[in-house]
Order: sequence, then C-alpha cells, then structure tokens
Amino acid sequence: MAAAVVTAGGSDFSDLREIKKQLLSVAERSRERGLQHSGKWAAELAFALEPLPLSELPPPPVLTEEDARDLDAYTLAKSYFDLKEYDRAAYFLQGCKSQKAYFLYMYSRYLSGEKKKDDETVDSLGPLEKGQVKNEALRELRVELSKKHKAQELDGFGLYLYGVVLRKLDLVKEAIDVFVEAAHALPLHWGAWLELCNLITDKEMLKFLSLPDTWMKEFFLAHIYTELQLIEEALQKYQSLIDAGFSKSTYIISQIAVAYHNIRDIDKALSIFNELRKQDPYRIENMDTFSNLLYVRSMKPELSYLAHNLCEIDKYRVETCCVIGNYYSLRSQHEKAALYFQRALKLNPRYLGAWTLMGHEYMEMKNTSAAIQAYRHAIEVNKRDYRAWYGLGQTYEILKMPFYCLYYYRRAHQLRPNDSRMLVALGECYEKLNQLVEAKKCYWRAYAVGDVEKMALVKLAKLHEQLNESEQAAQCYIKYIQDIYSCGEVVEHLEVSTAFRYLAQYYFKCKLWDEASACAQKCCAFNDTREEGKALLRQILQLRNQGETSSTDVAAPFFLPASLSASNTPTRRVSPLNLSSVTP
Amino acid sequence: MASVHESLYFNPMLTNGVVHANVFGVRDWVTPHKMALLVLLSELGRAGSQLGLLERRRLNRLLLPLLQGPDMALSRLRKAIEECCPHLAGSVHIRLKLMAEGELKDMEQFFDDLSDSFSGTEPEVHKTSVVGLFLRHMILAYNKLSFSQVYKLYTALQQYFHKDDKKDGADESEMELTNPEELDGRMEKEELDGPLREEEIACSGPLSQKQAEYFLSQQASLLKNDETKALAPASLQKELNNLLKFNPDFAEAHYLSYLNNLRVQDVFSSTHSLLHYFDRLILTGAESKSNGDEGYGRSLRYAALNLAALHCRFGHYQQAELALQEAIRIAQESNDHVCLQHCLSWLYILEQKIFDSCVLLEHSVNKSLHFGLPYLASLGIQSLVQQRAFAGKAANKLMDALKDSDLLHWKHSLSELIDISIAQKTAIWRLYGRSTMALQQAQTLLSMNSLEAVNVGVQQNNTESFAVVLCHLAELHAEQGYFAAASEILKHLKERFPPNSQHAQLWMLFDQKIQFERAMNDGRYHVADSLVAGITALNSIEGVYRKAIVLKAQNQMSEAHKLLQKLLIHCQKIKNTEMVIRVLLSTAELYWRSSCHTIALPVLLQALALAREYSLQYLASETVLNLAFSQLILGIPEQALNILHMAIEPVLAHGAVLDKGCAMFLVAKCQVASAASYTPEKKTEALESAILNLNEAKNYFAKVDCKEQLRDVLYFQARLFHTLGKTQERNKCAMLFRQLHQELPAHGVPLINAFK
Repeated sequence: MAAAVVTAGGSDFSDLREIKKQLLSVAERSRERGLQHSGKWAAELAFALEPLPLSELPPPPVLTEEDARDLDAYTLAKSYFDLKEYDRAAYFLQGCKSQKAYFLYMYSRYLSGEKKKDDETVDSLGPLEKGQVKNEALRELRVELSKKHKAQELDGFGLYLYGVVLRKLDLVKEAIDVFVEAAHALPLHWGAWLELCNLITDKEMLKFLSLPDTWMKEFFLAHIYTELQLIEEALQKYQSLIDAGFSKSTYIISQIAVAYHNIRDIDKALSIFNELRKQDPYRIENMDTFSNLLYVRSMKPELSYLAHNLCEIDKYRVETCCVIGNYYSLRSQHEKAALYFQRALKLNPRYLGAWTLMGHEYMEMKNTSAAIQAYRHAIEVNKRDYRAWYGLGQTYEILKMPFYCLYYYRRAHQLRPNDSRMLVALGECYEKLNQLVEAKKCYWRAYAVGDVEKMALVKLAKLHEQLNESEQAAQCYIKYIQDIYSCGEVVEHLEVSTAFRYLAQYYFKCKLWDEASACAQKCCAFNDTREEGKALLRQILQLRNQGETSSTDVAAPFFLPASLSASNTPTRRVSPLNLSSVTP
Repeated sequence: MASVHESLYFNPMLTNGVVHANVFGVRDWVTPHKMALLVLLSELGRAGSQLGLLERRRLNRLLLPLLQGPDMALSRLRKAIEECCPHLAGSVHIRLKLMAEGELKDMEQFFDDLSDSFSGTEPEVHKTSVVGLFLRHMILAYNKLSFSQVYKLYTALQQYFHKDDKKDGADESEMELTNPEELDGRMEKEELDGPLREEEIACSGPLSQKQAEYFLSQQASLLKNDETKALAPASLQKELNNLLKFNPDFAEAHYLSYLNNLRVQDVFSSTHSLLHYFDRLILTGAESKSNGDEGYGRSLRYAALNLAALHCRFGHYQQAELALQEAIRIAQESNDHVCLQHCLSWLYILEQKIFDSCVLLEHSVNKSLHFGLPYLASLGIQSLVQQRAFAGKAANKLMDALKDSDLLHWKHSLSELIDISIAQKTAIWRLYGRSTMALQQAQTLLSMNSLEAVNVGVQQNNTESFAVVLCHLAELHAEQGYFAAASEILKHLKERFPPNSQHAQLWMLFDQKIQFERAMNDGRYHVADSLVAGITALNSIEGVYRKAIVLKAQNQMSEAHKLLQKLLIHCQKIKNTEMVIRVLLSTAELYWRSSCHTIALPVLLQALALAREYSLQYLASETVLNLAFSQLILGIPEQALNILHMAIEPVLAHGAVLDKGCAMFLVAKCQVASAASYTPEKKTEALESAILNLNEAKNYFAKVDCKEQLRDVLYFQARLFHTLGKTQERNKCAMLFRQLHQELPAHGVPLINAFK
C-alpha cells in the first residue's frame, strides 16, 4: 500500500529532490517501526542534499482504517518499545492487523528473544550450555512469518524481519532470497541491503542476484565492493555518487576513507578522515579505523587527541575502547591496551577487530598462548580475517616453528593474494626452512604485487647472493635502489648501504670502473660502509691508472630516477605463484 | 610379501595404545540427572537396614557407573534401579515427582537436607568416600549457583521429569487431538519445521560433557580398531560439527575430526582440524597452572610431530621431514626425551623411504627402553625385525627378538602389538617359505581373543594385523588348491574391510594375485593380462613382474626379457632380494625356453646363492628344481637327481601344489633319463618308480586343475607304459591324453623341454 508512494525511481540521480523526498519519508517510516539504524542512514543521506521548500515536503503518511484502529495500541507499544520493554510492547500489540503495528509486534518479540539470549549467556548452568543458548522466539517467529510470506501479506519491512529471522536460524540461502524480495518490495530500506551485504561472500554470488534497478542499488554495490575487497570498483562507485550530488554525505566520505585504508593508501585515508572529523566532529563510527591509521603512522599526538575526544563523547562505545587500546599500544603499555580491547569485546562480543588487536597486544607481551587464543576467537567470528591468520603465523614464527606457521601465512595469503606482507612472511619462512627456490618465488611475487615495506627486493637480492647468482643479485639491488629513489622519500633505509656496497663490489669484479666508482662514492655517504667505499675507490683508481684511460663521458648514474624515467613504469609481470608445497 | 605397515600414528588421546579422552579436568555441574542420583542416594540412606543384603549389593554395584557415567534419561535410570530394587525405584520416582511438581522451595529444602547426612556422631556417609565426595561436590556446585541459575536448574528438572512422563502417556495425548483445525495447524507447523528438523534429528540435542567425552573416545577407539563399526565419515563429521557448535572449546572434537578426515583422505580439512586442535590445546595447557610452561611447550612439540605424521600419511615426505626437523629442534631445546623418541621413530619411518636406517632404529629401541616407553620400543623392535628379515639376518635371532618383545607386550598387555607381532611372524615364515609355520601363526592370531577392554563384547578388532593374516591365509589356501576356501576368506575380508576402508588395498592385491595365478594355471593368459593393470595399481613392482610372466607365457620372449632386466636393476637398487631372486628365476626360465641352458646356469647359481644367503628356503628349492632341470637337459640326469634330493623335501613339505607336481614330474623325468644306462632289471625298476612319481604329480596337477601339465604327464606315462609293455595302462593313459589334447590347443614348446 504505502510502498507505492515511495518506490524509488530509476537508477539515475537526475532528480535529487525526488530522492530527497523519498529519503525523508523512508526515514520517518523506519523510525515508526523502531528500525533506528536504517532511519539514521536515510536521514544522514537526506541531510547531505539541498533542503526542500515547504511546498515540496513529503506529506505525512496517509492513515488507513486499520491504522486508525490500532493507533492507540501502537502508540502505547511504541513508547514501551523505545524504553526497551519489548515483552510489554508485544503484549499490547497482540491482535493488531495494520502493517505497522504488526511489524512492531513481531520485531519486539524478536528483540526480546535476542535480549534474553544475551542475558542468558552470562549465567548458564555449565560449559556445555554456553553454546546452547538460543533465541527461543526465533522458531515461532519463523513459522508465523513464513505463513504470512506464503500468503504474500508481508510488506518490505516484514520481509526484512523474516529474512533476519532466517539468517539467525542459519538458513542462509532462504534468507538471501527473502532479503532480495525485501529489497524489491521496499528498495529504500537500507537495512535489507546491509543484511544482503553480510550474506554475500563472493563476486559470483553477487552476479546471480536479481536486484531492483534503483538508485539505492548503487549504494549497495559500492558497499559490497568495499566488503569484498574490490576497492577499485568501490572507489569508482563512490566517486560517481559524489558526482551525482552526495558530496556532503558523511557516510560516503567515511566509506571512501575505509576503502583507502583497506588498500593501505594511508595518506589519502588519513586526509579523508581528518576532513570527516571536521564535518562531523562528534562521530564515533569508523573512528577505530582512523585510529588504526594513526597507529600505523605512529602519530602519537593525533591519536592521543582522538582518544581523549572520543572518551569525552562516549567512553562506553566499542570504537572508543578500540581507539584507547590503540593509543596505549602505541605508547607500549600493552597490558592496558589489552584491557581496553577486552572491554570492547564485553560491549560487543561480535566485534571482530578487537579480538585480532588483542592478539597483537598479547604478542607484544610475549604471551603467545593468550595471543593464539585471541586470534582463534577472531577466526571463529570471521574465517576471512586475514590479520588473525597472519597473527597466528607470526606467533608460531616467534615460537620458532617456521614450518608450522607456513600454513597460517598461506591462509592469510589466500585471503589477500596481493598483499606483500604475507608474501614476505612466507618467503622468510621458506628461507628459514632452507627452501630457497620457494623463498625466491615469494619475494619476487611480493615485489611484483607492490611491496609495502620495500624489503622484498633486498631479501631477494641476498638470496641470490647466497646462491652465487651475482647477476640477479645485482639486478635486484639496482631495482631496489631505483625503487627507493623513485619514492622520493629520503628515509634512512638501512639496506641502501648494503645495496651500494654489493653493487660496487659487483661492478668492480666485472671491471666496470665507472659504475663501480659511482657506487663506491655512494657507499661513502653511509657510516657503516664509508671505509669500505674509500678503500674500493682507491683500488679502482689504481687499477684505472694501470689500465687504459677511462671513457670520458660521464653518464648519469644508472640508479637514479632520471634513468628510470625512460621506462617509467617497470613492467612487473606477475607470474602465478606456484609453490611446490602440497599442503593447503 | 606384505607385512605390517607403519600405520601406527601417534595420537595424544592414546597412550600405549589405550584411549583416554578426559584430558581436561571437568568441573562438576548440577544437572537434573545428578539430582535424580542425589534423590536415589538419600532414599538409600533412608531405607537403611530395610533393604535386603542382595538388593543392597546390587545397588552398590549400580551406583559407581551411575556416578561416573554420562547423564541419561529418567526412564532409563528408573529401569536400572528397578532391576535392582523395584521398591526403591518407586520411592525415588515419588520424591522426584513431588519436587518437580511442587515449588522451588522443595528443591532448596532438598539440598539443605543433603548436608545433614554428614552430621551426627555416626554419619550416614563418610566425607571421603566415593558417595561422600559426590555429595559434597554437588552441594558445593549447587551453592555456587546464582538465583537465575537455580531457577533454571529447577525448570530443567521439571522438563527432565515431564519428558519422562510424557513418554509414558504419549499415545493418549496423540489420541486427544481430535479437533481437525488444530490438527491442521499442527501439520502445517511440522511441515515448516521440515528443513530444520532434518538437521536436528541427527544430533538430537546437545550432549553433556561426559556424554561428549564418551562419544569421542568411543569413536576414536573404533576408528583405530574397527573402522567399519564407527560412524560413517559424513555423519561423524556432522556430529562433530554439532558438538563444536554447542561447545566450541571442546578441542578433542577437532582431533577426532582430523582422524575422520584422514579416513576420507582429505588433506585440507585434516590439516585444518589438526592445527585447530593444537591451537586449542595450547590454550588449555597454558591455563592449567599445574603443568605450567611445560604443558604448553609440550603441546607445541607434539603439534609439529603430528603435522609430520599427517604429511607422512599423505605421502608428502619432504614436508613431513621439515615438520619433523622442527619437532626435533623444539624437543631438543626443551630436553624432552620422550618426545624425541617419538620423533626418532618417525625419523626412521621417513628415512626408510630413502635408505635403510637400522642405526636410527637400534638407537630408538635402546633409548625407548631407557625412558620406559614400551610401546615405542616394541614398535621399534618390530620394525627392526622386519628390516633385518629383508636384509637376510639369521632367522633364529629374529625370532628371539620377537619373543623378547612379546614378553614385553604381555607384561604391559599391549594387545595391539601382540597382534602385530603374530602377523609379523606369519609374514616372516612365509618369507622364509615355511608355509605350515605361517599357517599355524595365522590361525593363532585368528583364534585369539582381544585383550582390549574397550570393546569387551567384540572378540577381535579390525586392525591391519588381521587383514595381513587373513590375506596370507587366503593365499596359502589358494596355493594348496583350496580355491573355494580362499575365496571364502576373501569374501570375509571384503565384509570386514569394506573397499573404501584403510586396509582394503591389502586384500585387493591378494585377491588379484590369486586370480592371476589361477588364470595362469588354466592357460587363460588374456585374463591374467587384464589383471596385471589392477596389480600394478596396488603394487608396481609386483605388477611389472606379473606382466613379464604373462609375456613369457605368451612367448614374447624379448619383451619379457627386457622387462625383467629393468625390474632386476630396480629391485637390486631398492634391495628387494625376494623379488630379485624371482626375477632371476624367470630370466633363467626365459633362457632355457630359448634353449640356452648354458646361459641359464650361472643365473640360476646366482639366484641360489642369494636365496641361501637370505635364507629364503622356498625360493632356494625352486632354484634347485630349475637347476636340476637344466642339468637334465644338458645330459647329466644323475647329477640332477642328486641335487633334486636336496630340494624335494622342502618342496613337498611347504610348497604350493603346483610346485609339488612339477617337482615330482621332474624327478620322474630324471629317473627315466638316468635309467637309460642301467641294466634292464634295474631299468624296469626305475621306470616303475618313475610311473609312481608321475601318478603323484598327476594328483597334484589335478588338484589345481592344470590341464596342460596333466596332459604332459599322461603322455609321458603312456610312453613309459609302452616301454614296459603294459599295453592296457598305456591305452588308458593315451585315451586320457587324447581327451585333454582335444580340449587344449597344441603346445608351442616341445614336450621334454618344458619343466613348468
């Protein structure tokens, strides 16, 4: 019935006023049904658009005969519902026929079950009952809702609730179907889309869904691309949304920041987050991601400021606890950090990030068994958490079990095939196991997918050195130096001196005096290789004087970016990583 | 010759071959079942002296398993009590009913009263007795409960009681549903529940801790001893998943899931489960303070060791070695000699694939004995014996070693190792060619009762030893021409070890070998040829050898020769002496079939030397037969007869029927040949004894249905009768020969030249 009023139009964004109207009305309707998060989302988005003149404001929803009949019960129950007295709300809503009242009735029964379940977990009768606590209401709800569903009496919200019940019962396939149906019935309801995001695990599944062709789909696709780590596509979608006129939406800005965080483009992510904080200073959502970024960059004052700020806003939020945990971790107060992550988990046991971060803290404290426990928990919550797998690998590496940790690194690598850190870790393990061929493959691959820490090439070069493949080693060192210089960063890089030293020796052996002396001169710039460089320079001079006169034209140093510019993008051919190991 | 494989993997739930599931300390919790037991105890105290002596004794015997066993339904408990004392069962039921149908305070009162039993000058229950401990545990656990937990316990008790009640009155309530509308609603509800039900039926609710432990240990021991009796892989996995869903901390379930995955050869899942198990174990090890750091490090070492075992099981020897190195390194760092011993045994198994490493093994046995690990030591001894047997060490020493280790087994009642030991003896006797001894050992094992307490009802387990022994038995019977018996045994094997189970490959190989032999005897070479592929799949060396034999029989000499030469080189490299000798014999046969007896002789002598060196007696006598035949053809039948005397005895004692026939036939031929130079009387005598020998050979051939050889014998006999002038007998033989000759295609090789 009312759905007809607010069906989202086509998939274009030409009529922003229409979109705004739809958003406002759906926000109102979600609120009426106690769906606060969807309401908030719609309102946030609506806020990003131009305000409407009075004449164009959406009319208040038309009340039907049924609505009028249930109005008293609904009003009473809604106030109970808002006070979190779900059973009471449900009691007064019994027998209501109108869609709105019926939804609230079912929804309060569902929430009451969930609340009881959470309470039950605290005092169960034994270890075996721990996992048994179930939301008792779910099965009844399912039976009733499916009856209604068969009779096609459910509106968009009703379908959404049915889907949620199915998902809680682990009936994933049915749940997806119902959520798709809900999205068709009421495309404006963000909750249904969000649930779909959680249920879809890969791109293939996404392809086979028949989704309603509305502008909401764009938001959904952008979101799910971020979830599935298809960052490029996600960023594209978000950019086009901004171009369409949602440039002020904090939701989109935060999502873009998260996307940049996921591809580890730290600077961009940081600047976007800063922008976001300016626009929405009391925002707590996504601030944990922000703090991760600050942590990675070791920006202590900023992190401290953020932590204090958030603590002032609301100290009992998962995100706040996480930020404070990160803050302590950066200050190397790991016990306190672990404490705060534990608090975050108490607030929300399903908050995955905290488990992993807690694992990291335990690692810092050298409490490996607790770390393993934390990581295993993280994996239990989400099997696809590559950081937890990686953390487990690191733990076992610390325990000096390089073969054992291979499995974990491999799992992490499977989840993030293009992340160089896992590849470098794998390579190091193979190196320890003396499987140099495999190690070489890993390092090369790490370099090829874009090395974050820029260590893969040095390690590869050293491997070649060990195997007496001096030519390849020299090539690697050259590439490494080019990489460092082309970055433009003048960071103190430990291995640069080693690279120059090796190259100097290499060219010296090859009797390429010019190159050798250039490298040796470079060596002199570093403390640890200065003497060696000087000695080599003297030797070269001697030998040169003995031999014929050198060629006079001094070419530009081969290793500088100038020579690199000729072939600006070194073609990094990514060959398939074919490790000989048979194990998973 | 198949002997016991290295399938005995280390299992943390097993120590010295016995399953222990209760690795974690279990804290007691009050459950409705335990409350029922408490009621029973208090009733018992109240009844006091009224009970008869017999009833009291029965009840006392019932109590202990009840206190230690898993939770059970009330109806079962009642039945158990009723069997001992019907009067008491009634009063227990009434007390429970009063409590369940009363109020919460009844339960509280009950627990308050419980502690009274300790008070007084002469308490009913001693504080430190089994019952006293149980009571105190329960009271403590009850007092620890919070208000809501007490209430929950009470509702659980009500459910427990009513579930039982409902079961009694189930039929009535079903009948009451006469209202059609209600019935309709019910139907629909059930329909909707359909998909959910299916998942739940299999697990029928969560298990209690004890039940779960019992389930796990039972399944684990079944997997080890008798795979067929355990749940099917899929349903077992389902159960385990269910268990883990309800209690994710139940780490042993992961281990069982690892074992289960090994059954279906799933590398990925088994690795996953194994690592998960050890990740979990590390936690519990760290938690229990009593073990301290030690417990935690220990599980790390065994984790690496188990990973090595896993890779070994899947044939990833390189990976296994890396994992093993890791385990060894960690064990060395923490001075864990026991773990090191386990590592050493595994190292041996791994190195065995590369080169023989008796030194390692000897070391392992010594050290294991030193550290008091009888299981490991015995396994070591057995492996050592196996290796030594192949290496041709003196048989008496080997048997001595086995006997010594047997003493150890009986002392520690390691029933599994006893089985293996007997199976190994069977195999070794067969290797030496003493079929009667082998037969005796095989029968010993089969008629022995299992010592294992886990499955008292079952007399025997389905372990590899039994498979080995039964296979040998089948082959021994087939050799003696009892094909029906052999196929009966194989049928039994098929039932006991279904085709997808772990040891099924053994009987598959033996089955095909027996079929192959039969086909060769009957001259159905194409059938034999088709069997070769199957044999090759199970054992490549055996397969190549059989292929060569088929080629030889089909007169494709040069191909056969090429194949045999290749095989010879390979077998010499891997030191498979038994096969080397067999290959040499076949090569020699090839030579004399091509009438190159002079070339055959050195080959045969080489084979003889080898067989003597490795004391493979049966092969030696077979070689002698071949040698005698060559001498016969080369025209020195007297010499042939001389050496035949050496061989005939073991052949007749231990040989296959076919070989016996061949031997007798050869003896007859030699007698005839050497009789040429005798005086007429002596000659007649010799010929007559030859005829007798031929009769014997004929009997043997008839047993295995070798028509070709039979025909040859008949021809020969007819000629002899002719020489002796016994026309009637001659005609009879000639007629039989004619019959057979019409059945069979003409032989390519001249009669006299064939010995086999």
